[in-house]
Amino acid sequence: MIDVIIVGAGPAGLSAANVCAKNGLKVKVVDEFMKAGGRLLGQLHEEPDGTWWNGIEEAKKLSEDAQELNVAVECGVSVHNIKQEKSYWKVYTTKGDFKTRALLLATGAAETSLPIPGWTLPGVMSIGAAQVMTNVHRVRVGERGVVIGINILSAAITRELQLAGIEVSSMYLPGKNIVTEDAAKPLSTMKSMLKVASLAPSKLIRLGSYFMKYESLQSLAVRFYPKNGMKVWGMPVHLRKAVLEIVGDKKVEGVKVAQVDVNGEPILSTEKFVPADFVCIAGGLYPLVELAAISGCPFQYIAELGGHVPVHNENMKTPIDGLYVAGNITGIESAKVAMKQGAVAGYSISMDLLKTDVNIEDQLQQAINHVKQTRNQATIQFHPDIHSGREKIHASFKNTLRTDI
Amino acid sequence: MRDHKTIICRCEEVSLEDLVRTAESYRCSSRELKLRTRAGMGQCGGRTCRALVDSITQKCTNDSTPHDIPLGYQAPIRPITFSIMGEKKDE
Amino acid sequence: MSKGRIIDHPILGRLDEREEVHFTFDENKLIGYEGETIAAALLANGERVLRCHEETGKLRGIYCNIGHCMECRVNVGNQKSVRACLTVIQEGMEVKSGRKLPTPFKKGETQ
Ligand SMILES: Cc1cc2nc3c(=O)[nH]c(=O)nc-3n(C[C@H](O)[C@H](O)[C@H](O)COP(=O)(O)OP(=O)(O)OC[C@H]3O[C@@H](n4cnc5c(N)ncnc54)[C@H](O)[C@@H]3O)c2cc1C
Repeated sequence: MIDVIIVGAGPAGLSAANVCAKNGLKVKVVDEFMKAGGRLLGQLHEEPDGTWWNGIEEAKKLSEDAQELNVAVECGVSVHNIKQEKSYWKVYTTKGDFKTRALLLATGAAETSLPIPGWTLPGVMSIGAAQVMTNVHRVRVGERGVVIGINILSAAITRELQLAGIEVSSMYLPGKNIVTEDAAKPLSTMKSMLKVASLAPSKLIRLGSYFMKYESLQSLAVRFYPKNGMKVWGMPVHLRKAVLEIVGDKKVEGVKVAQVDVNGEPILSTEKFVPADFVCIAGGLYPLVELAAISGCPFQYIAELGGHVPVHNENMKTPIDGLYVAGNITGIESAKVAMKQGAVAGYSISMDLLKTDVNIEDQLQQAINHVKQTRNQATIQFHPDIHSGREKIHASFKNTLRTDI
Repeated sequence: MRDHKTIICRCEEVSLEDLVRTAESYRCSSRELKLRTRAGMGQCGGRTCRALVDSITQKCTNDSTPHDIPLGYQAPIRPITFSIMGEKKDE
Repeated sequence: MSKGRIIDHPILGRLDEREEVHFTFDENKLIGYEGETIAAALLANGERVLRCHEETGKLRGIYCNIGHCMECRVNVGNQKSVRACLTVIQEGMEVKSGRKLPTPFKKGETQ
């Protein structure tokens, strides 16, 4: 029997593993990716102070600590099922089944898409796919591409593609349909970019912070948005143009682009062909909760957290005995927050398994405070109302316990 | 307008037009929509399209998103070979 | 190392020298590098098309690149439906693209 099994070797999972191991627990981490680090591995952002957040280096530090602490980290292993038995959890993987006293799900996030005609063609990929190909595998996704979907993640990753010498000719809105609607509206796109400001292209921010103050000016900014886009890092960002279709015979050859009105409706007479050999689709992230769902854990739908999240409290405990969650499975936030949440889960698990140790309780409290501090200082925020999302989910934990009694 | 050409579920190649038509005529839940169209029933377990299918359901029926996950998950949530299923390697 | 790869990077530095790995994709003999995934090695070799939809025959390549979407599934040796984005290439590996099935399997009732 293992003390703790952690699914996911991302920033949350590894941080939790290291805390548990420091407290003397026997820990095993499994991850289906071939390297430890999760989505941290592809990240490369310039911080406001001019330093670089290099995910590969951050992941290396976490992995080295794990190795020193004798955490068993197994990569290339997928967990396909989990079951609660009387006094333990059984974890089913592609390399055998294991028993554990505590189970931490730190499976991170997945991407949502913006479906438009032609998006199944080879050469069309999610923006995250391009990030991993570029920064982790160091393989070129193409020579010249376009990005569909203007949001915090696509802005960051487009910059990363440029750094690697891959040309992105433009960023566009998606053509409007019933499912892309929200991402296809110029005004709401502009507003959401401004709210999550600090990482967004600085020019857009400057323009925005000026217009932000007055609702009426915001729509003016959108109305008079330059036809040729606004150049950010030498690349046009088009809030008034959308990709209506991706075209190609056996693979992507280009996109059909048209100007759109302030509501995102295309002006068909303006349709033009723009050549491209790759296309990235950026629809945002949602918590990857599949294992929590099959465990029978209750859920809440909280838009501020990115979708359905397993009910849990500030200690990262779910209402189900021995089941914990940390990182993006609990809501979409940056890797720094995920690390701090992982530490909380680590202390929480240690406290529950090593009932005699009183010091851990203080450390747990401190770790919870660190999560809050990190959240308040985050340079990357995926949702402006993240705080209210967190309050809602913690409140739902209390309600779940109350109705159980 | 281009909805017949817009694939929502890549695994089963279900179009937006099919989904909207079905959702509107049956005014059904995401689960029923999935069973009727096969959207979300393919190899990926709905990981790519579930949010889209949910949003079609909500927009066509004017419902808000329920707290229970509309399209449930079922084990195994990752592809496994039969040899793995037969294997007993408890630790 | 071939042109498909990002050798120098202003922040991440220079790519380490790695051992060559020989593998095949359908009938083509290709070279990748130690530690690369099937998906990365194929893309670096200019192969974007990994399979076609079993029923409609429409072509597919990588989509999510982190194991979620299953679009990059290929056959490796006698193993079917292997995610190219999560599987590391090995010397002598025989990778085959996913084909259209000869008899269309029955579609479930739509209405
Ligand atoms: C494609 C993508 C790109 C992103 N880019 C950025 C970015 O540029 N900047 C930013 O701040 N945030 C980014 N994020 C957000 C990111 O989720 C967080 O920054 C952070 O990495 C979350 O950490 P985590 O530990 O919760 O999960 P992750 O880092 O996602 O780690 C989860 C790990 O769990 C593994 N896993 C999941 N399910 C299973 C299973 N069933 N069996 C075995 N292993 C499993 C995965 O392989 C993965 O390695 C991105 C997210 C995604 C999905």
